[in-house]
Amino acid sequence: MAAAAPERPTYRTIPILALSTSELEALSKSMKLSLSGADMEAVRAYYQEQGREPTDVELEVIAQTWSEHCKHRIFSARIQHTRDGKTEEIDGIFKTFIRKVSLGIMDSKPGFVLSAFTDNAGFIEIDPGLAACLKVETHNHPSAIEPYAGANTGLGGVIRDILGAGKGAKPVASLDVFCFGRPDTKPEQIRAKDVIHPLGVMRGVVRGVRDYGNRMGIPTVGGAIQFDDTFCYNPLVFCGTAGIIPSSEIAKEVIPGHLIIAVGGRTGRDGLKGATFSSGALGTDSHEEDQTAVQIGNPIEEKKVSDFVLSAREQGLIAAITDCGAGGFSSAAGEMLSETGGEIILDQAPLKEPGLLSWEIFISESQERMVLSSAPEKLPALRKLADVYETELAVLGKSDGTGILKVKHHGHMVCELDCRRLHEAPRLDLKATWTTPDWQPLPTLNEATAEADLREILGDFAIVSREPVIREYDHEVQGNTVLKPLAGATGDAPQDGAVIRVDGSSRLLALGLSLLPEWGKTDPYAMGLACMDECVRQLVLCGANPDKIAVLDNYCMGNPHDPAELGGLVESARALAEAAVAYGTPFVSGKDSFYNYFQTEDGPVSIPVTALISGIGIVEDAKHVTGASLRSDDSVLCLLGTATGDLGGSVYARRKGLTAQRVPVGDPVAAAALYRSTHEAIKGGLVLSAHDISEGGLAVTLAEMAFSLKAGIEATLPDGPPAMVQLFSEAPARFVLEVRPADVETLQEIFADHAFTVLGHTTSAHRRLKIAGTQRPVIDADIAGLKEIWKSGLAAWY
Amino acid sequence: MSATPSALLIKFPGTNCDAETARALEAAGFTTSVVPVSLITPSHLKTVNLVVFSGGFSYGDYVMAGRIAQLVSEVKLGDSLKRFIADGGYVLGICNGFQIMTKLGILPEGSLIDNSSGRFQCRWVKLKVTNPESPWLADLPEEFELPIAHAEGRFVAPEGKAQEYLDKGLAALTYESDINGSTLQIAAMQDETGRVFGLMPHPERFIHPQNHYDPDWSERPDHGWGYYFFRGIWREITGGRRLVA
Repeated sequence: MAAAAPERPTYRTIPILALSTSELEALSKSMKLSLSGADMEAVRAYYQEQGREPTDVELEVIAQTWSEHCKHRIFSARIQHTRDGKTEEIDGIFKTFIRKVSLGIMDSKPGFVLSAFTDNAGFIEIDPGLAACLKVETHNHPSAIEPYAGANTGLGGVIRDILGAGKGAKPVASLDVFCFGRPDTKPEQIRAKDVIHPLGVMRGVVRGVRDYGNRMGIPTVGGAIQFDDTFCYNPLVFCGTAGIIPSSEIAKEVIPGHLIIAVGGRTGRDGLKGATFSSGALGTDSHEEDQTAVQIGNPIEEKKVSDFVLSAREQGLIAAITDCGAGGFSSAAGEMLSETGGEIILDQAPLKEPGLLSWEIFISESQERMVLSSAPEKLPALRKLADVYETELAVLGKSDGTGILKVKHHGHMVCELDCRRLHEAPRLDLKATWTTPDWQPLPTLNEATAEADLREILGDFAIVSREPVIREYDHEVQGNTVLKPLAGATGDAPQDGAVIRVDGSSRLLALGLSLLPEWGKTDPYAMGLACMDECVRQLVLCGANPDKIAVLDNYCMGNPHDPAELGGLVESARALAEAAVAYGTPFVSGKDSFYNYFQTEDGPVSIPVTALISGIGIVEDAKHVTGASLRSDDSVLCLLGTATGDLGGSVYARRKGLTAQRVPVGDPVAAAALYRSTHEAIKGGLVLSAHDISEGGLAVTLAEMAFSLKAGIEATLPDGPPAMVQLFSEAPARFVLEVRPADVETLQEIFADHAFTVLGHTTSAHRRLKIAGTQRPVIDADIAGLKEIWKSGLAAWY
Repeated sequence: MSATPSALLIKFPGTNCDAETARALEAAGFTTSVVPVSLITPSHLKTVNLVVFSGGFSYGDYVMAGRIAQLVSEVKLGDSLKRFIADGGYVLGICNGFQIMTKLGILPEGSLIDNSSGRFQCRWVKLKVTNPESPWLADLPEEFELPIAHAEGRFVAPEGKAQEYLDKGLAALTYESDINGSTLQIAAMQDETGRVFGLMPHPERFIHPQNHYDPDWSERPDHGWGYYFFRGIWREITGGRRLVA
C-alpha cells in the first residue's frame, strides 16, 4: 500500500457478474444509478467480456454517461408512432427532425453556421472572422426543490457552457424563461406535501437568476414567464446565454500528451448525482432525499474563472476546453478523453473537504469548474494567469492516445473504461400515439364585452408586464444593449426581442424566443409551427435578416413512457422540422428535459409538452432596430396577415372557458415569404415600429404599441372573421407596422403578395385606443388606464 | 494637445464593468489599462492621471458593498492613493467603484446602503446637475439621463451633512425623483478638490445614442450623455493640469 493511502479504501468492487436481471435492477435502484434492467444487462455483458467485476466508480461513471440528462436517450430512441390510427417508425427524434433537417438547411447556406451539434453550443457567423453562439439549458428538477439555488446554478451552468464553447466564448447576454404555477394558487390546491407554492418558486428562481447574472456582469436581456396550474409541481426553468468568439478559436482538439487541467472552484460532496437525479420523476420524497443533488452557486468564483479563461484563450494557452456540468469530472474529462483516452489522478483535484470517496470526486457536480487541455509547455503561463485572476488550477492528468479512460486514486486504478464503449448506451424502443381531438364549434361571441375583455386580458397573468422581474436583472451591463426588454419613449413598454451591439463589428445580435405550452395541451403540431413562427417573427421585427437566423430547441415533457404524452412530443417535433425547412432556420443546438411529472395524492401530474424555441439573428445595421412602441402621432398602422377563425390556445379562450377549440395552424411557407418582404421594408427605412400579434391577440398588440404614450390610435377592423376573433385570435404570422403616411403606397407594393391591411392611424388628438368593428365601435379606452392595468398586474404578487 | 491622458482601471474579482468603462475612456481620449488587483503596486499610480474603480460586485459584495475591495486596496496601495490625490491625481468610482471609494474614505463621509425598496433595480433615471462647476459635469446639461443598476445605492450621511454637501457643491448630482431612498436624492459625490468623484449611475452605458431606450432620443446627434461625462474630465485633465508624459 502507498504511504499516503487512507485508512479505509476510497473505492470498492461491486460484484454484478453473478446477478440476475431483477437483482441488477435492485442494485441500480439502491445505488440510485437510474439505469434500467436492459442497461444493467449491457453493463454486465461488458464486464463479462472484461472478465472482472466493476468498481463503484465505474458504475457511477456509466450511470452518469448513460443518463437521460447526458445522453438524450429518449431523443435517440426508435419510436413506433401512431397518428390517428396510422403507424410509422421514427428513427430517433433528434436524427429525423432536428439533425437531418438542420444539416440540409446548412448546406443551402454555406458559411453561415460554423459549427452545430458537436460543441457545447452551435456557432453562426456575424462577420467574417467573428462568430456568435447561443445555448439554453433547463434546470427544472433542482429549481422545484430549491428554487433559488436551482435557478442560480442553472444560469451558472449555461454560462460555463459558453465559456467551454470553442476555446472559450465570451458570454454577452442571457435569456431566462420560466413556467410556474399561478401566483394565486390556493394552498389547498397543492395535493402533495413539501411542494413549494408557485409564489415561493417564482421569487426564489428570479432572485437566483438575478444574483448569478448580475454578479457575472452578463446582461439578462430577454425572457418569458408562463403561469399555469400544470407547472405547479414541476416548474420549468430555462437559462440561456449567448457568446462571441473569433471564428478561428472555434475548433478545438485534445492531443495525446496534452495535460488535462481543472480550473476554478474546489470539488466537494455538493451536487452528487445531479444528472441521474434529473433523469427521473419528482415525488414527495425528492424534497427530502435529493437535497445533495442541488448546489449553491458562487458567481464570483465563476467570474474569476471567466476572466481566466478569456485571457488564456486570447494568449493562445488553450487547446481544448469544456465545462464541468452534469457528471462533473467524469463527464468533462470523459468527453475530453473520449477519443484519445488518458489518465486522471484524483489525488490532484483540489477538494473542499478531506475524506471524499473516489466516485464522489469523479462525479461531483460542484459548481464553477472548467476542464481544459493544453500542451505541457503552456502550464507556467496558465499558472501565472490563474494567480493573476485569483483562481485555483490543478493538473488532473493527461491524454495518452490509448483510447482507455484510466482513473487513479491513492495509487489504485479505480476506473478503467474503454472510451468508445462508454458512449454505446443501449437504444430504447418506445411507443407513441396521437389522436386529433374532437374540436368544438366556436360559439357566437358577444362584441359588447370587447372592451371589458381587453381589460381583463391585459390584467391576465399571461399578459401583465414582467417589469418587477425585469428591473431586478441588470440588462444594461457591458454597455451594448440596444433594444431592451422594456423600451419605447417611456422606457417601460414591451418589445418583441432584444438586440445587442457586438464589440468589433458594425452588426448586432438579436435574440428572440417562443413557447406556447397552452397550445401543446391540445395541438402540439400547431404549437411546433407557431413557436418557430413566433421566434422568427420576433427576430425579423427586431431587425434581423431572416436569412441569418439560427434556432435552438429545448423540449420539456412529462412521462416519455406514456405513449400519449410521447405522441405529443413527436407531433411537435415534426412541426418544428417542417417550420425549420420553410423558414430556413437551422437548429444549431438544443437540450431536452423529461420526467417533468409528479406523484401527487391524486395521481401523477404531468406538464404539457413544451418546446422553447430560442433564436439568434444577425442585424446588419443598427438602423434596422425600430422597437415595438409607437413613435409618431401622425402615422399609419398596417396589419400584416389574416386572423383565422380559431381561438384555441388563446388567452381569451382560456378566460372564457372555451374548451376543445381548434388551435390555429400556421402556413410557414407563406410566413417565410412575408418575413422576407418585411425585412425589405425595414431595410428601406419604411418602418417606424413593429409589434407582433401573439398572446392576447391584435387588441393587446395595439394597446402595447400605444404604451409609449406618444399617440392615440384610431383603427377599424377589416371585413372578415367576427370582430371578437379578429381582436383576440392568436393566429401566427401576424403583426402590426407603424409607418409614415407617405410610405403606405410603397409598402403596398412590397407586400403585394401578402395580406396587407391599413388598419388605421395614430393621432395627437387624444390618448385613447379606439377600435371599430365593421358595424360599430368595439373598444374606446383611455390608454393610460389600460397601461395601469397591464403594469400593475404582477407587482402585487412579486 | 500633445499628450494623451492615461487612466488606470483597477479590476477586482467580481468587477464586471471594466471592459465598457475602458472602452468609454478610450472613446473620450484616454489611454486606458485595466489591471487586476493582484498585480497592482503603488508604482502603477506614478504614471497615470486618472484612477478608476468601475462597476461590478467586487468579491461578491457579500459583506457590505465595496468593503473587501477597500481592505485589499489599502493592503496593495498603502497611502499611495491618498498621495496620488494630493499630488493632483483624479479618481473616479462608478457604482461599485463609488461604494468602494466611500469605504476608502477619499470622499466626504457617507455610505451607500440598501435601496429603500430592498431590491436591485435596473432602469434609466433623470439626473440634475447641482454643481455646474464640477469638472466631471462640465460638458453636461443641467438635466440628463443615465441608467442605474444597483441594490445598494441609497446615499446616507451623518445628521445634517447631506444638506451641507449639497450646499457646498460636493453632492454634485442628484436624482430628479426618489428612486432609491438616497438622502436629498444624492446620486454622486465629489471631494473638496473636485478631482475625486463617485456616482451610482453608469455613464459608460450611454456612449452611443442607440443605448437609449427611446429610439427617437436625439438630444445629441453623435453620442450619448455618458460620452460627455468622460469627455468633460478629459478636457479638464488635458486643459492645463498635470499630464503624465
